[in-house]
Amino acid sequence: MRPLDPVTSKQRVAYGLAFFVLFVALWSWATLGGHVSKTFLANPLTMVQEGFDLLTKQGFVYDIGMTIWRVVGGFALAAIIAVPLGVLMGAYKPIEAFLEPFVSFARYLPASAFIPLLILWAGIGELQKLLVIFIGSVFQVILMVAVTVGATRRDLVEAAYTLGAGDRGIIRRVLLPSSAPEIAEILRLVLGWAWTYVIVAELIGSSSGIGHMITDSQALLNTGQIIFGIIVIGLIGLLSDFLFKAFNAWLFPWRLA
Amino acid sequence: MTILKIEQVSRTFPARHGNAPTRALEPTDLIIGNNDFVTILGPSGCGKSTLLRIVAGLDRPTSGRVTLDGRAVTGPGADRGMVFQSYTLFPWLTVRENIAFGLRERGVSEAERNEIADGFIRQVGLSGFENHWPKQLSGGMQQRTAIARALANDPKILLLDEPFGALDNQTRALMQEMLLSIWERDQKTVLFVTHDIEEAIFLGSRVIVMSARPGRIKAEINVDLPHPRSYKIKTTPEFVQLKERLVEEIRTEALKVAEHA
Repeated sequence: MRPLDPVTSKQRVAYGLAFFVLFVALWSWATLGGHVSKTFLANPLTMVQEGFDLLTKQGFVYDIGMTIWRVVGGFALAAIIAVPLGVLMGAYKPIEAFLEPFVSFARYLPASAFIPLLILWAGIGELQKLLVIFIGSVFQVILMVAVTVGATRRDLVEAAYTLGAGDRGIIRRVLLPSSAPEIAEILRLVLGWAWTYVIVAELIGSSSGIGHMITDSQALLNTGQIIFGIIVIGLIGLLSDFLFKAFNAWLFPWRLA
Repeated sequence: MTILKIEQVSRTFPARHGNAPTRALEPTDLIIGNNDFVTILGPSGCGKSTLLRIVAGLDRPTSGRVTLDGRAVTGPGADRGMVFQSYTLFPWLTVRENIAFGLRERGVSEAERNEIADGFIRQVGLSGFENHWPKQLSGGMQQRTAIARALANDPKILLLDEPFGALDNQTRALMQEMLLSIWERDQKTVLFVTHDIEEAIFLGSRVIVMSARPGRIKAEINVDLPHPRSYKIKTTPEFVQLKERLVEEIRTEALKVAEHA
């Protein structure tokens, strides 16, 4: 091993898998070896069994579907509002001066702290869940998009002006395409955060979803189900991340060329 | 007929962080006629790029005015094509789409755009690279595309700001010949900024020498070398004589800069 020395892609996969194997081995040693009480931590085999039970007998697929729909719904809502606003802020400095202080402030308001208020306003239905995700994502996306658009290379903008582009042309044909890959990256990142908010929203006042299943299992001291739920969240996150990356690579071939 | 008039144009950059205001350009007059190829030669920091940016409309003069065919320049526009020293191709567009950028902005149909773009691609010797991304091109190829992109707009005047400054010597010499051959064939009005003496003589019909800070025009020298010029002209006695003279002019300016640095 030397600093910054690259690894082959085969080695990369092998090392990555090795950690998972090590992790499960440690977990098995702690639980199956009797070092940790069953009440606090289920062993891997029980976890798999409980998971199978959840999927086949307890309709956990429906819960997974509900959670995904909430994340995607709330996130899409946030993106639809945040991306145009962020672009406008990045492009027009007066708009940025007008909105930036408030958005910076709002960004630090924890989405989970809004849950009691949102339950008062929107009940415990779907709207409340969507709003938690929305509040958690929208300000982050606005600010990051604004910074990205504002950092567009000045010389590209100047070149476009000398080629006869007007203000609209600059936004549509320079600021947007040059920021698009970064904006896609921002959305990928914030989607990951949205997953944390949705589980918190489902822990409180919900009758479906992965978070709801986890609270139910806690009441039954079923740690196998809890861990299975957490692992499912991780797997979905991994999958959505992979899809997002592949989609971005397909969308912006000029970056990889 | 194209006439670019620069009248008493000066530029002072306002004071910043307690420093005194910088006088980048003293009031300057310059007239550039139809199909003229004028090179502006000067050491770095002499305000030559500032002057070019004012002509392009990317910077505002502190005093004076620039007119193109009698119309005052108030901002950038398609009638003044510009090639920058930095690589400014749009990375998300292919070579062909880059060259057609200005045409598309004007609403030219796609078929016509491609036809015009392909013509310029041939002129700058990039056939076969139409669908490449800028990232896949060498520096020289990127600047050739940038020149084609500016020419495709059919500007009244072509402004070049040290376009070959970042290229290696061999590539630079080839690019100079290519640019000159385009000018010899199509007759364009060109304003070319450089700090390379040989480049200024080889390309220009007139060389404007600028002095160091504050920038002003120090000398104006006609280059009466015949066209078409080939690279071989660089070793003729006439060329060498001009070069010697300009070396002296520039050297005193460079010394002044070095003393103040």
